[in-house]
Amino acid sequence: MPYSMAPEFVVVATAVALPFVAAALTPLYYRALGERTGYVGAGVALVCFALVASQWGADGAVGVPWVPSLDVALRFYVDGWALLFAGLASGVGVLVFVYSTGYMHGEPNLARYYATLLAFMGSILGVAFAGDLIALFLFWELTSLASFVLIGHHTDQKEARYSARMAMVVTVGGGLFLLVAVLLLSIAAAGVAGVGAFDLVGMLRNPAAVQAALREQGLFVPVLGLVAVAAGAKSAQVPLHFWLPNAMVAPTPVSAFLHSATMVKVGVYLLGRLRPVLLGGEWTLLFATLGLATMLVGAVLAVASTDLKQLLAYSTASHLGLMVAGFGFANHYGAEAGVFHLLNHALFKAALFLVVGIVAHEAGSRRIDRLGGLWRELPVTAAIAGITGLSMAGIPPFNGFYSKELLFEAAYETAVHAGGALAWLYPAVAVLASVFTVLYSLKFLSIFVGERPAAVGGLGRAPAALVAPPAVLAALAAAVSIDPQLAVDAAVQRGVDATAAAPTEVAVGLPAHLTVPVAMSALSIVGGVAAYPFERRICRRIELLNELRVTPRPAWIYDYWLTATDAASVRLDAAVNNGLLRTYAAWAIAAASALALIGYASTAAAVPAIDGAGATPAMVLVLLVAIVAAVAVTIAPSHVAGVLTLSILGFMVAIFYILASAPDLALTQLVVETLVLLIFLLVLEELPAFYAEAHPGVLARDAALSLGVGLTAALTVLVTARDGDSPPTYLAEQYVENAVEGAGGANVVNVILTDFRAFDTLGEIVVISIAALSVLVLLTMRRRGESP
Amino acid sequence: MKTTVRVVVPIVLVVAISLLLQGHNLPGGGFVGGVLTTAAFALIYVAYGLDYLEIGVLGRDVESGAGMFEHRSVEAYLRTFVLGLALAVGSGLGGLAFGEPFLYQDHWTLYGIPIYHEIHLASALAFDVGVYLVVVGGLLTILSVVGAE
Repeated sequence: MPYSMAPEFVVVATAVALPFVAAALTPLYYRALGERTGYVGAGVALVCFALVASQWGADGAVGVPWVPSLDVALRFYVDGWALLFAGLASGVGVLVFVYSTGYMHGEPNLARYYATLLAFMGSILGVAFAGDLIALFLFWELTSLASFVLIGHHTDQKEARYSARMAMVVTVGGGLFLLVAVLLLSIAAAGVAGVGAFDLVGMLRNPAAVQAALREQGLFVPVLGLVAVAAGAKSAQVPLHFWLPNAMVAPTPVSAFLHSATMVKVGVYLLGRLRPVLLGGEWTLLFATLGLATMLVGAVLAVASTDLKQLLAYSTASHLGLMVAGFGFANHYGAEAGVFHLLNHALFKAALFLVVGIVAHEAGSRRIDRLGGLWRELPVTAAIAGITGLSMAGIPPFNGFYSKELLFEAAYETAVHAGGALAWLYPAVAVLASVFTVLYSLKFLSIFVGERPAAVGGLGRAPAALVAPPAVLAALAAAVSIDPQLAVDAAVQRGVDATAAAPTEVAVGLPAHLTVPVAMSALSIVGGVAAYPFERRICRRIELLNELRVTPRPAWIYDYWLTATDAASVRLDAAVNNGLLRTYAAWAIAAASALALIGYASTAAAVPAIDGAGATPAMVLVLLVAIVAAVAVTIAPSHVAGVLTLSILGFMVAIFYILASAPDLALTQLVVETLVLLIFLLVLEELPAFYAEAHPGVLARDAALSLGVGLTAALTVLVTARDGDSPPTYLAEQYVENAVEGAGGANVVNVILTDFRAFDTLGEIVVISIAALSVLVLLTMRRRGESP
Repeated sequence: MKTTVRVVVPIVLVVAISLLLQGHNLPGGGFVGGVLTTAAFALIYVAYGLDYLEIGVLGRDVESGAGMFEHRSVEAYLRTFVLGLALAVGSGLGGLAFGEPFLYQDHWTLYGIPIYHEIHLASALAFDVGVYLVVVGGLLTILSVVGAE
């Protein structure tokens, strides 16, 4: 298919920037509109959707330079995959904003809610269109931040705060892995022709060359692993799936938008994006295994769920596993399964979440065992749930069936070509996971049929603002179900072209004759339906398995680490920050010495040979006196004696400067020494007259520390000192040559301070001012009785 | 002690100022001059006590128990280092006015000045005076409030 159309920078940039601008202005128009602010959000989302739609079919990169010196640019990359994801985000966004106006009626902090939701939508569009790895990372982390704020919407609930923090730690922590992966990718691709730093567009245009460069430098597997952790954390893959069910404390529209349709798919999106670059044997092994494991674990846990939203959360993790596994398989079916299921899942799962919102709103409960027979009062909602629920189960001819069938084909093809018994685990696990998928889908739908439990009171009719959005999604799902090839031609084909290694024609439809993948579908449906009567027993088995604690549950590990980190920081704080000045001094100088030594060791700094030829007898004498004074300080019986002995040391150093013909240094040393002596005498009265008996261990520690600091200082002097025989450096020559002529001063030291390097001096006098102010403020606060 | 201080302090102050002014060509400069000036003040504090400057020089009654923070001398020190900082930054901004980079320095020789006949003047002196004022103000602020504790 020829790509004639080039994307327009202004259109793409507006689509990404508009939600952020609207988010910033939300507090302003919230005052005027109140709860109707959601319609503004829907309008913004609609405009974004129209902008995205106007670029439909475009392919290419546009951008403006951002940090030219580092070759970082605001680049956007537009292709079928980006447009599909952006279109989903803005399209579902319209519906979620409309739904929110009904669902969030009477809730507090609506301005913050809508502003965050808008900013989130902008971030998602940014991720979709990012043509630069740094921009991709920034937008990626912004989505996590927005998710944090939205999960913690009810700030007064402990559970919401806990879950928000958990989601934040896992997804932002995963983002840091992405950052390292981005840096490694950029380093490896630096030598490839036509690829700038952090240039995603260039990498996507030369995937084979980038992969060859990665492998050559041994960075392929590290990058793959880092991308897997980042995408796994974001897309709730095992074992980092545990944050997603907890995130369900968020308001339901947020769950539908962030935690099923868009944010959790960012990881899948990244895998699709990088698939052409990183595809290989390791890729398939890692992501097919990871995805199928998540698919199975998610489906099993969904069956055991008692809460509707919890069920959908585990189901989302399971379906994300399906997409990851799809992208993991190297054949063209894999890319097709990943792209097509991204679309299908967004349609049915967002609708199902919105249905749960309606049920919770009207029936007042989300517990599956307390609900039943809801179709009588909520017929439209039940119809929506019927279409989308069967799609979730993968029952033909609903849309979820087609993409799952593609996964079965991908798994089967891979197993056939790989040979070996282990490879047959792929299709086997896929079928087993699908059995559980059918089972929990039926469990979900059971709330609409059968007898209504007495606990559920009289139900009202759901308002149009709540029913219309899921109805639109269900209608779209139905449309895809009736004519899947239409959806494929409109959206999926171009997404597959962007993510597949080789161009293919995607063909979907109801199976005409029996093949192995069709038999796999039939087996999973029959298995799921047959297992449904034993659903309660299966649930109990899964719960028992959970209680046995055969495997450590990731959430426990997370809690353990959090508690341990908390406790460790408290202990560290007690050790370092114990309120004693001498402790601070010890930590500060020990840390400075250690860092200096590490620096010398890592740069392999050479210590020049020492010959005592330059030293005159006078210098030796002065230095000897200084050493004697230094030793005497440590055994001085009182403060006055110690201070006076210390100044002997200082004055000896000053005399040494004179002997070494450094008059400026000598002058400064003398004056500072005098002043310090005076200050000491001034404050000496406040100190206790005699030293207390020190503990031998403390003495030994202090002695070791002093020796270490002294050695570091000596080493620093040796390493930085110029070799006596070598000529002065270029910089030194320039200073001397230009001092009189250029700056009009014969004293080079002073000219350096006030002219050549005046900026340094300016910084130093600012420090003096800040020190004076700090002393003043600290002492003033103490006088007022405040703790500083 | 007090007599010695009376004799020494004026000499020290003159030396400090000469160090500041000659710093561009001979050993000295704003920092050394500033520290030496502070040392002179410290001598006064040690010999006469902290309230001496307030009562004896500024001629102001000190309320008993009011402490150092209400002293006008501390406010003067604060003003001194703020002025010094402003002078140093201002001298740096001066370069910008003539289309040169921040902190650009120049030097001129002035002729026909009484007594000296000719003076070599560097714009760096303004910066150095700024350094001097900051050092004097900053150190004296610390010295007086810590001393008062």
